[in-house]
Amino acid sequence: MGRYIFKRGLISVPLLLVVSFLTFILNSLSPMDPAEVVLHAQGVPRITDELLEETRLALGLDRPLLVRYWNWFLSCLRLDFGDSYVTGKPVWSLLGPAFLNTLKLTIVSVVAIIILSIALGVLCALREGKLLDKSIRGISFFLTAMPSYLLASLLVLYFSVKLDLLPTNGMDTIGSYILPVTVITISYAGIYFRVVRSSMLSNLNEDYVLYGRACGLPERKITRRILRNSLQVAVSVFCMAIPIILGSTVVVENIFAWPGLGTLSVNSILSRDFPIIQAYVLVLAASFVIVNTFSDMINAWVNPKLREDG
Amino acid sequence: MRRFHYFLKDRLAAVSLAIISITVIAGIFAPWIAPNDPEEVHMELRFASASWEYLLGNDHLGRCVLSRLIYGIRPSVLWVLAALVASVGIGAIIGFIAGYFRGRIDAFLMRICDVMLSFPGYVMTLAIIGILGVGLENILLAFVLMKWAWFARIIRTSVMAYAESEYVKFSKVLGMGSLRIMRKHILPVSLPDIAVTSSSAYSSMVLQLSGFSFLGLGIQAPHAEWGMMLNEAREVMFSRPEMMLAPGITTILFVTAVNFFTDSLQVALDPKLGISGKKRQGRPDSVAGRIQRNEVA
Amino acid sequence: MVKKQVVPFLVLVVTALWLAGCSNSANSEKESSANSAASSSARDELVYSTAKDINDMNPHLYAGSMPAQGIVYESLVENTAEGIKPLLAESWDISEDGKLYTFHLRQNVTFHDGEPFNAEAVKLNFDAVQSNASKHAWIKLSSMLTETKVIDEYTVQLVLSEPYYPTLLELSMTRPYVFLSPKDFIDGETKDGVNGFDGTGPYKLTDHKTDQYAVFEANERYWNGAPKLKKITAKVLPAGETTFLALQKGEVDFVFTDDRGADSIDVEAMNKLAESGGFQIVRSEPMNTKMIVANSSKQDSPAADAAVRKALWHSIDRETISEAIFSGTESAADTLFSSNVNYANVELEKREYDIELAKKLLEENGWAGEGIREKDGRKLTMSLYYDVNSSSQKAQAEMIQNAAKNIGIQLELFGEESTSIANRRTTGDYDLLFNQTWGLAYDPQSTIASFTSDAAYRHTTSGIPEAEELYRKIGEVMVSSDEETRKALYQDILSIVHDEAVFIPLTNGSVTVVAPKDLQGISFKQTQFELPFEQMSFSR
Repeated sequence: MGRYIFKRGLISVPLLLVVSFLTFILNSLSPMDPAEVVLHAQGVPRITDELLEETRLALGLDRPLLVRYWNWFLSCLRLDFGDSYVTGKPVWSLLGPAFLNTLKLTIVSVVAIIILSIALGVLCALREGKLLDKSIRGISFFLTAMPSYLLASLLVLYFSVKLDLLPTNGMDTIGSYILPVTVITISYAGIYFRVVRSSMLSNLNEDYVLYGRACGLPERKITRRILRNSLQVAVSVFCMAIPIILGSTVVVENIFAWPGLGTLSVNSILSRDFPIIQAYVLVLAASFVIVNTFSDMINAWVNPKLREDG
Repeated sequence: MRRFHYFLKDRLAAVSLAIISITVIAGIFAPWIAPNDPEEVHMELRFASASWEYLLGNDHLGRCVLSRLIYGIRPSVLWVLAALVASVGIGAIIGFIAGYFRGRIDAFLMRICDVMLSFPGYVMTLAIIGILGVGLENILLAFVLMKWAWFARIIRTSVMAYAESEYVKFSKVLGMGSLRIMRKHILPVSLPDIAVTSSSAYSSMVLQLSGFSFLGLGIQAPHAEWGMMLNEAREVMFSRPEMMLAPGITTILFVTAVNFFTDSLQVALDPKLGISGKKRQGRPDSVAGRIQRNEVA
Repeated sequence: MVKKQVVPFLVLVVTALWLAGCSNSANSEKESSANSAASSSARDELVYSTAKDINDMNPHLYAGSMPAQGIVYESLVENTAEGIKPLLAESWDISEDGKLYTFHLRQNVTFHDGEPFNAEAVKLNFDAVQSNASKHAWIKLSSMLTETKVIDEYTVQLVLSEPYYPTLLELSMTRPYVFLSPKDFIDGETKDGVNGFDGTGPYKLTDHKTDQYAVFEANERYWNGAPKLKKITAKVLPAGETTFLALQKGEVDFVFTDDRGADSIDVEAMNKLAESGGFQIVRSEPMNTKMIVANSSKQDSPAADAAVRKALWHSIDRETISEAIFSGTESAADTLFSSNVNYANVELEKREYDIELAKKLLEENGWAGEGIREKDGRKLTMSLYYDVNSSSQKAQAEMIQNAAKNIGIQLELFGEESTSIANRRTTGDYDLLFNQTWGLAYDPQSTIASFTSDAAYRHTTSGIPEAEELYRKIGEVMVSSDEETRKALYQDILSIVHDEAVFIPLTNGSVTVVAPKDLQGISFKQTQFELPFEQMSFSR
């Protein structure tokens, strides 16, 4: 087991290196001159060639690509991601709080998704084929087919304005979590609960259930076994949900004015704020890799057969 | 084929397939079906409600909503389908090579896939658009670039499972070329898995494109596209909420149909998920489960 | 069997969620009433929404939000409808040759941190601005100002290299010639950042959470009397329905047109708000002109052909745009500068909305054919760029494209981010693009000066035959000290540009304010980028 962890960990580092390097190159592909980006972002009304040269030197853009990349990567290890082109402030001072804000939203959503998925998944698996199962599945298909901005707008319109129960935007109170979390949960729970359901279904039909019943084992014990087996599969799925949602909150954050990674990333991309884009991709890729490794480790611990897999 | 028979028996699946087919056909034959020119501006008809000439009314520039909806099928549905096919195609080729030949080739290809998969999908698409510029082509390119790795992985798993089967071993012994084996033995059995994966990825791609157009980064004006129509309707959401109905309902209906279709396909191909309970021999049952697990991209 | 275990579990889950929902809404009620300034208790607070964060409030740089900087910092003089009026300078003398400006400063003015405002402070500020002159290339005063001299504690003298008539005007602008407390300088400079944001203005910045909100509190020791509105909060909200809903709910009470001239909410929705009571809509007089800029210097583009530009001009139905797309909130514009702009009250031939004339113009100039016209084997196709965040630009673009199709011009539309558009303008990589003039205080001199600037309209103007003459005249008018000569020169400049149709005006934009009904004293400044919050108050 230890060897497995070590092997996985070893792969992750070069992975991150490659990911960050590709992002760096991606940024250089942009037709816009970074010096110009900086000046436009600073709102300088008139950009002259001398000013461009000055800015280029100040940003160190005259040095070759690899040198710049290497310097940047080294400083990343110290959590110094450079300064934002747009605001001039250190990237981490913007990325850190945004990351935290989105993380809060994500964790609450994932908890809600887990609860809902397990509840619905188990319920549907047990009532399989019956009306309840069909209707829940149908509703879930419908809800996941709704573009999230549509869903969000409707919810805000109804709960926030008409019923005046919840704030329309921002992160101020605990109440302001409810609507964004609801939108995210509805969008994803529909998919995840089917995983639980199908996992439970496969387990319900396994031989050991038949044998257990034939041996006269108490129903409780059998149920517990079934649940345990089904949820093993679900665990790794739910683990991966965290980084996935972490990177997909763009629309929800836009509508609810949530000061998180979604807003930050879109703004940076659209204003070509390369340092933030690079740092953002790196952080998110790192979290993907970490959580991925973690969930694979859980899987491997539970199911030793998988340890030989590539 | 028996599976397909089960499939059609499920009325819901039949209906979904019908909806999808009608939509696709309507999109292909748009110039013949659409009643009016989707880009013809009639300022005097702004926000007009349904009339005989304009069956679904007019939008903020007086253009025929129904025609725009029909023409909008092309980018929203057809072009995404094309991107899906391209993405699956690339993924399939890589997945097959990796899964069949294994060893070092497999390890190398999977490393590349890992790298691609580590990028946060939604935002990388956004980044590619930010760099290459807006437009439908760039979004589709981004989709293809981001998704092929995921398909490759899944297909590889499926191929690996089947490549261990007895009849494949026999074929190898008989001296059958690798390509022929892949084509004749592995492809047909892994096709269902590929179909299910693609289908579920399709609905998320359609929704993502809608989201990007909503943000203004999709197809360019004045071309019609469902997400863009929703964007335009959002502007007047409070004064004229009815404008969101047409594109909204169409999108939801279509994606729901695709979702039902995916589900029915899955049930048809792996009856364990359906009502009957027979376990199948020799087929690694975890593949379908693994597919579902990873389908949330 | 298993039912027995699953059902209670579900009941538990549902109950938990329901309880959480209840207690949360109770919490949010209490908290929102503390947060929102629209609560009925002390009516001396205002919350306004802004699409962008206020950013870096360094007054000598350009990243910060202009309305915010406008209430924190002040300049020597102020530009009003009646001309230049004293602000921090009580009076001034200009030398005979126009090169020396002597200002007598107001006494007993202090910065927010207590530092005294005096000639020394003025010199430190101006020197800090000048040492970063390359960033200020747009404002010609920066290249003309050679020295700032301290004569005595409250007298300061500016030495120019040449007589420059817009000096006072440029000194009155929101930035960069405004004053920051010298204690906030870093090593005697401001170009690399500052330690604090203490100005002399009616409000001081007391709290700032990036991308969330910024709080300004009244400066009780303001030299012109403490403002009645004690607290102003700028909340960062994306435009569109989020802002509208926040307004409806009372989480935000004030909304106004932003730096880019975009209104954050749809006009019909605004009107509905006003009708339903509680809100008033106030609109300023026309502040700027929105237009399409044509690249006359792009060799192989039809935009280089004056006939094409004029034909396009004739094919645009401005009245319909004004009424249908802007619901009458912006008026049709037929000239680059509306007549209320200085020196722009010039007789210029109006180009009417006339499709037949447009077609005739094209025919006469060799553009022939059915469908998309052609001339010498080239198709009449042009690219038109608009700001993807502006729905009005998009609607106009679509409308104009359709109209152009009817006269045989094919326009391809591209929606891009404003930074991208600005980049195109600089590099000249466009045929047509949407733009707007800087507005009242800056027109006409800054906009006209930018005709020669690469970063602005050089590409637009350099393709016309009279380009050299145009640039020469622009250079002259800046340094001319005689009113009559200036008038004549401006007339020539405006006529040349109008005749060549390189700037195709569309509408005149103004600043729209949506405010609570009981807010009084809403007025506008001579610039679209600031609002005089210090004059507003709630009636009892």
